[in-house]
Amino acid sequence: MNAPNVKHAPLRRPPEVAGTAAPIDLAGLDGGDGTPKVQSRGEPQTRGRRVLLGALTPALLLVLWEISSRANLVTPLILPSPETVYSAFLSLVNSGDLAANLSISIRRVVSGFAAGALLGLALGASMGLSPRFERFLRPSFLAVAQIPTLAWIPFLMILFGIGETLKIVIIAEAALVPTTLNTLDGFRNIPKAYLEVARIYKFNRRQILRKIMLPGALLPVFTGLRYGLTHAWQSLVVVELLASTEGIGYQMVMARQLFQLDVMIATMAVIGIIGFILDKLLALGEMRLSRRYGAAA
Amino acid sequence: MTELGTLDIRNVKKRFKVAGEAFAAIDDLSLTVEPGEFLSLVGPSGCGKSTLLRLVSGLDGDYGGEILLGGKRVSGTSLRRGLIFQEPRLFPWLNVEGNIALALENATLSAEQKRASIAEHVSLVGLRGFEKAYPRQLSGGMAQRAAIARGLVNRPALLLLDEPFGALDALTRTHMQRELEHIWKTEGITMVLVTHDVDEAIYLGDRVVVMAPRPGRISKIVDVGIGRPRDRASPAFTWLKAEVLEALGETHAS
Repeated sequence: MNAPNVKHAPLRRPPEVAGTAAPIDLAGLDGGDGTPKVQSRGEPQTRGRRVLLGALTPALLLVLWEISSRANLVTPLILPSPETVYSAFLSLVNSGDLAANLSISIRRVVSGFAAGALLGLALGASMGLSPRFERFLRPSFLAVAQIPTLAWIPFLMILFGIGETLKIVIIAEAALVPTTLNTLDGFRNIPKAYLEVARIYKFNRRQILRKIMLPGALLPVFTGLRYGLTHAWQSLVVVELLASTEGIGYQMVMARQLFQLDVMIATMAVIGIIGFILDKLLALGEMRLSRRYGAAA
Repeated sequence: MTELGTLDIRNVKKRFKVAGEAFAAIDDLSLTVEPGEFLSLVGPSGCGKSTLLRLVSGLDGDYGGEILLGGKRVSGTSLRRGLIFQEPRLFPWLNVEGNIALALENATLSAEQKRASIAEHVSLVGLRGFEKAYPRQLSGGMAQRAAIARGLVNRPALLLLDEPFGALDALTRTHMQRELEHIWKTEGITMVLVTHDVDEAIYLGDRVVVMAPRPGRISKIVDVGIGRPRDRASPAFTWLKAEVLEALGETHAS
């Protein structure tokens, strides 16, 4: 009964993100090739070059944008110049609007993510430890997980209204799915070889859990949390676009309604950059963990 | 260490179901191993030698016949019966010391005694100075030595070795065989070694049991009877090797 469950890719990238997978992809590449003996240490040159190459695309886009706005290819009403966007960004920072909205958004992500991740850890671990519970829950869980986060919104609106609860619940749902599936995966894929060693040394259930299962599952669990957080951040913006009077997503909607496209684009950039940094940081943590907990000798 | 007595394997049968069809991994095998003996098991793949080892260790059960140790039927694993696998199976998140300490989780020793025992076995396998090293920092030979230290640290009365040097290069292998012989002599443990390597089987074994496949059974038992340390180039050694190889060849022909 193990065989059909070893599909890694779909677990790591649940269906609901298919449309919005950009930051995950970026980091996924990095975490992926960092798995063997990390090359970044010995060859700073190579790493520097890699970062440079990665920065080339945004730089090129920026240049194109600048050119098009100077040549007036697109009306500045629709695509304001980089300078305008930058000064909009500065005024967002100086007025305190950005900080105010961001702090609200971050609070939402933190509480939603915490709720979703905790529940996900609990569900994933219990399914991973008890095959019976897994048989009981996993099919329904997978079926429910097929419903995109966005599709939950109408139903949950009826249930919770459009207040704070709705946002937290949706963010939690977004974090829940990857956390659960990766945790389950981590517990279930503990090598049989390790468990045999445990039997040779007469480990009881508690010892197996503490000395083998927990450290052995740590890396995939962390991966699940990483995807959970990225999903949480993405769904936050979605919720705030739809139903909010404050927060970073709301700031974007307002800007569009007032036709302040400079503010809108500046906000988009902030959202993207924060998501990128979050994922990068977690990818870094994952790489450090994998140095110790990854690949058995 | 406390003696566990004779290992008595009586009419053991073990069947596996492969693709719905039962086949006999071991068929009616009987064998006695005396306390303190070094027994080598050789045979082509599929002759049931690893299966037999797993049955004696208690990792696998559900067999016909009896496996007795000091007159008592073996059931489940025991700290008195150690098993060393073909791969080191060290835990990557623990250093050498930590990996060895795992074996003592359920030992009835004080913390102080455990520490002393770990240190003693680290030096026994020649890993002093590498206590804090993690598995990924060790060579294959060093990792296997750590695994051997882990297998020994409980002072099992019976140590089962499942091709422990199979993955090592020839030089490391020879070296490890000498060290294992040394450990066997100093600790007085009964050892049962499964190997593909006829040289290794003769170099280490008091007796060499040659097994045949389909169904897994004993085809010949060769008494080595040369003094230790053994010289692989000696005529007696060469002659024994020919005898074992011949027995192996017959199992192939049949």
